[in-house]
This record gives sequence, structure tokens and C-alpha cells, in this order.
Amino acid sequence: MDPGRFDALVAAHHGEIYRYLLRATSRASEADDLAQETFLRAYRAHRTLTPDANARAWLFAIATNVAKNHFRAESRRRRAHTAVRATLSATDGAEPESETLFNEARARLDAVVAALPPKQRLAFTLRKVHDLDYDAIARSLGCSAESARAHVFQALKKIRVSLNGHELPPGE
Amino acid sequence: MTRKPAVCLEIEPALVAAATGDADRATSARVESHTRLCAPCREDFARYRAIDGAVHAWRRAPAPAEEAARAHLASRLADLRRRTLAYGIFPSPLGPILIARSEEGVSLVEYLSGGHDFAHSRLSRIEGVEALPDGAEIEALYCELLEYVEGRRTRLEWPLDLRLARSGFHRAVLEATSRIPYGAVRSYAGIAGELGKPAATRAVAQALRWNPLPIVVPCHRVIGASGALTGYAGDKLSLKQRLLAVEGVPAVTARRELRVPCECMYVRAPGETAYCLPTCGWVATQPPRQLTRFGSRERAEAAGLEPCAECRPDLHPISR
Repeated sequence: MDPGRFDALVAAHHGEIYRYLLRATSRASEADDLAQETFLRAYRAHRTLTPDANARAWLFAIATNVAKNHFRAESRRRRAHTAVRATLSATDGAEPESETLFNEARARLDAVVAALPPKQRLAFTLRKVHDLDYDAIARSLGCSAESARAHVFQALKKIRVSLNGHELPPGE
Repeated sequence: MTRKPAVCLEIEPALVAAATGDADRATSARVESHTRLCAPCREDFARYRAIDGAVHAWRRAPAPAEEAARAHLASRLADLRRRTLAYGIFPSPLGPILIARSEEGVSLVEYLSGGHDFAHSRLSRIEGVEALPDGAEIEALYCELLEYVEGRRTRLEWPLDLRLARSGFHRAVLEATSRIPYGAVRSYAGIAGELGKPAATRAVAQALRWNPLPIVVPCHRVIGASGALTGYAGDKLSLKQRLLAVEGVPAVTARRELRVPCECMYVRAPGETAYCLPTCGWVATQPPRQLTRFGSRERAEAAGLEPCAECRPDLHPISR
């Protein structure tokens, strides 16, 4: 195995994978754990990656899987411990400053995206934040490119409804 | 809430795609000709444009704790990499063989006798190791190993990782064994003497019994002081005979055991740069267990030795 090849992958993509997972989970501590999980899985599998493979899309696919598993476990936990969860969310507001993600305008968008159903949230983030093409998004989510496009469309519609009546920060 | 006309509903996905930079030229043109005539959709289009702008600003938002996350990953990754051995399993003339390596070097060559799969390997039972199947790189090592056991190659210049040595003594035995030249044999007692523990002959034999790198660390070149092959990888004495034969060291059956005929091999005393006939007067003064023995003059000379000026093995080669 060429240790340098994997080091280069980490150096090139850890930042964006972490940010992707941060947007997917809205919490730095979870993004931290899931990014570790993503790269440990990638390390275990990277020998099977052919030299001409799209390593970036491959890493996003692993991160997406890790995030989906996380959401599944999370929803199981939520169902099992509704009462406990209520106590926990009360402490969420008292998180350290590093957990507070963006300024107010960004925070609004962040909250809207965080409220999207998981597949729409992941598809939207992969497309609109990380510029993956629909084929790569489809492979990550395990659906067709058309479904991936539909997820992004539905996400944008919901964002639009949620932001109705709010001033938006100026665009480009 | 008023429902949108069907035509507006139908074009909505295209409109959203066009407003957020996700549509091809034909779709954008279709949307444009619609919004020119439809004021509510024009408004929608502008709103989605604004959302797209906000998303662009949002995507550049700083990600808190990114550096810390990178450091956490680095530490867990370093631990995983230290524990990882990548392996491959191959058929070989000596039976199925498993080769495993770490990032530092080759760390295990295992004869698989219980079965041809990983589950039957010793590697699968080593604690604290994460074994991962590998592809081309291990296969390249196997190709070299194959050339070696077939006599088409006399050196394996592999970086080695002796992490599976069980103690400092074990490691020292493996290192001393690695220095025995191709086509030569030494005795267990000779290795023990070299390590300054002349009484540790049995311990040397035990250490080589669990040699994590057979063939590569050539424990097949270590024999009993009498010339008896003694043992190899448990019960694989015939493999030892075969590996020695490839290197030009004969083994014959005498007194119901396989022996290397030490009396008809060229010899070298420790520290000497010359090789001698076994009958050389100088050799007779040396303790026999300290001698390294060669199957042929070619092998002795390939190991960098010159013929002894006294007994002249070059003029009087041993005839078999």
C-alpha cells in the first residue's frame, strides 16, 4: 500500500467531508465523529480503489452512507428515549460557542436545511454545497439520478416555503 | 391557498433548476419564455434566485472545530495504520501461502495448512492486528517469492517489519538468520553462539519454529550441528529439503533422517573473507558449530568470499 496516496486523500478532502457532515448533522461533535468514521472506512477499503476512480465522489458516497446510518440509529434512539431526549435538547442551547454554527442569516438557512428529511438534506448539500453531479449523488444515496434531482427540487421548495417572509442575505 | 395553473406546476422543477443554476440551455430557454408571460412564476424565479444566492453565501460559512476534527482523525488513523496488515493468499509450489505487510514492510509469510482461506490462517488469530485483503501490491511480492522458490531469483530485497517477533531475543535470532547467505547453512548452535548465548541452542530452534517470515528470513538454512535438517514450520521438513535443493544445498537420508552432508561442503569461519575445503588444516582448528557451509563454490563466491590461499578450493573442487 502506498501510505502517501491515502495521506493525499485526507489532506485534499477531509475539510469538505467534515463540512458536508457538519451540514448534514448540524453539530460539530457529530460531524467530527462521522468524518473519522468515513476516513477509517475509506482507509480500510482504499486498496480496492482503482487509480482512475473518482476518489472524491467515492469519499462523499462513504460519508453519505455513514450519515444515513447515523440518522437511522438516531431515529431509533429518539423513539426509544423520547423523555431523555427532551432533557438533552434542553442542554443543547447551552453548547460551547464552537457548536454555534453561523451568523443569524446563515443560521436560519441552516435550521431550514437541518429540518429537511435526511435524503433531501443530503442530496441538497451534495449538489448545492459540494457541486457533485447527479450521477455521483445518485450513487451515494442509492437511487436514480432522476430521484436525486427530485430530492434537490423538493428540498429547494421546502427551503423556499420556510424562508417566506424572511429577508435573504444578498447573493453573488 | 390558490392552486397554481397546471402549466406552472408542470414547469416548476425546470424553473427551480434554472433559477439555481442547475438547468441546461434548452430548459432555461423554456423557463424564460414562460416567466416572460407569467408574473407569479417570474416572482418565484426571482425568489429562488435569491435563495440560490443565500446558499452560495451559506456554503462559505466557516466550519467550527475543523482543525480539531482533523487532529482527532489523524490520531485514530495513525492507530489504525499501525495495526493494519494488508494480506493476499496465493497458490504456490509449496502449497497455499499468505503474505501480509504493514506500511513499514513485509511482516508475515504463512504456509496455510488448515485451509486455503483467511479464516484458517494464523493471521486471523493475532490479537491487535487488523487484517485487510490487498490486491496488486501483495501480488507483486508473491510473484517475486515464486521466482525465488523456483530458483529464478536469489534475493528478496523487501523491507521487513519484524513486529510479530515475540521478544528481543526472537528478533535477534531472525536478524542473525537473515544474514546467512543464499546457498549456505549454519547450525542452531552457531546462531546461539553468535548471539553470545552458546547454551541457547534450543531457544534458537524454538524462535525459528515460529518464524513469521519463512523463506524471506531463511530459517531453512539453519540445521542441526550434525547436519540433520531437524525441523521446519512444524512438520514441513520436505519443504526445507526442497528450498535447500533450489539453492544447491543437497540433503540426503542417512540413519533414517534427512541430513546435509557437511563433510562435503565448502566452509567459512566467522569473520573470514575466504572459503575453504572442509579438509583445510585451518578449518580443523575452528569449532565446527561456528562454521557456515556452502553447497557450491559459486554460492560462496556470490557471497563475496575468495578461495582460501592455503587449501585452494578453486584448484581442488569437491567432487560429488
